[in-house]
Amino acid sequence: MTGRGLLRYIEDLLRGNRPRPFRAEQTDVAELRTAIELRAARPGSGVPREEFVTQLQQRLATELADTPTWGATRIVGTRRQFGKGAAIAAAAAAVGAVVDHTLTAGRSDAGPETGHEANTLTPTAGDWRTVAASEQLPDGAVRAFDLGTIVGFVHRTDGVARAVSGSCTHQGCRLLLDATTRRLDCPCHTTVFAVTGEPLTHQLPITPPPLPQLVTREVNGAVQVYAPPAST
Amino acid sequence: MTGEVYPDWEAVYRDNVDRMYRLMFAKVGNRPDAEDLTAEVFVAVLRPLRVSASVGEVRAYLLATARTVLAEYWRRTLGREVTTLVDEHTETVFADPPAPSNAPRRIAVILSALPDQYRRILELRFLDSYSVREAAAELGVSVANAKVLQHRALRRAAQMAQEVDQ
Repeated sequence: MTGRGLLRYIEDLLRGNRPRPFRAEQTDVAELRTAIELRAARPGSGVPREEFVTQLQQRLATELADTPTWGATRIVGTRRQFGKGAAIAAAAAAVGAVVDHTLTAGRSDAGPETGHEANTLTPTAGDWRTVAASEQLPDGAVRAFDLGTIVGFVHRTDGVARAVSGSCTHQGCRLLLDATTRRLDCPCHTTVFAVTGEPLTHQLPITPPPLPQLVTREVNGAVQVYAPPAST
Repeated sequence: MTGEVYPDWEAVYRDNVDRMYRLMFAKVGNRPDAEDLTAEVFVAVLRPLRVSASVGEVRAYLLATARTVLAEYWRRTLGREVTTLVDEHTETVFADPPAPSNAPRRIAVILSALPDQYRRILELRFLDSYSVREAAAELGVSVANAKVLQHRALRRAAQMAQEVDQ
């Protein structure tokens, strides 16, 4: 029996999307490995995008701005925190020492999963409200927004802008964007969501539901979500 | 060559970013994750790095960090270590000029051992970027059949891959 998680994972690989996590069985591993190997053999696969190479260099320059030893370029700017990165580097010498994560139980594959539609937030009365200019949201970017009535995060993946609610589905704490890992962290119970809304890791007895999707569109260079009107 | 040092972190980055990305792509098979993991490795490595570290030391450190970053990625996403970097060596990963990969030959061996329809569906979908619909049309089967064919072909290929490894 081939699980839906595995099939979806392979389909994501083939489409060039970020594959969605699932709870893999040991029997899935060989197929996953072969799928990755075959996909990586597609012509042009191993060459990074020029845009990525440039952006990462800029990001590193910002992060290293206050490290005088690597002094060739000193860019004044806010240094992003990256405690986890340093921890990983420190642990790298000891093979296998990694940050301890609780694996998310994942969504049950048993229920009728009708994609995101079942989980889309649609206000009874709403307006199209701009959350970002299109140019502020290049492919791969994530931005937080606060419309007063709703907070959320908008991201662009494979050219399409999508938005999710920014409130944790456990007890409603406001999620924080970790731009370096492209994840949404809950400050209350260390739950982590993907920018697409899926819960990734948590330490709760029950996996929290995915974040509600917001209806999103793009018109005249503006990314808009359908949200309740601002309170006056 | 081994005693050489990098003039600055940008040289470290420029000299190794392509190979680190290629390495990660080969292990995760998709661009978004390969980019994130490449970034994670460089962010983790550059700050603690000593300026006086030799090129060889820097690369060994990059590879050691990449191993940990990849292991953590699998733990966090699937809970199984699907691919690892334990068999990779600094000399081959960072060879200059790049060492020819044995991946194409391996894949050719695996594919050639499969029944014709199995081989074709995998080539079309994985190597030639056909959608399942396009692949079905090419093979003259229904979309549902193409899906089943693909699942069976992949399972068979995975078995062949394990045999090749032994």
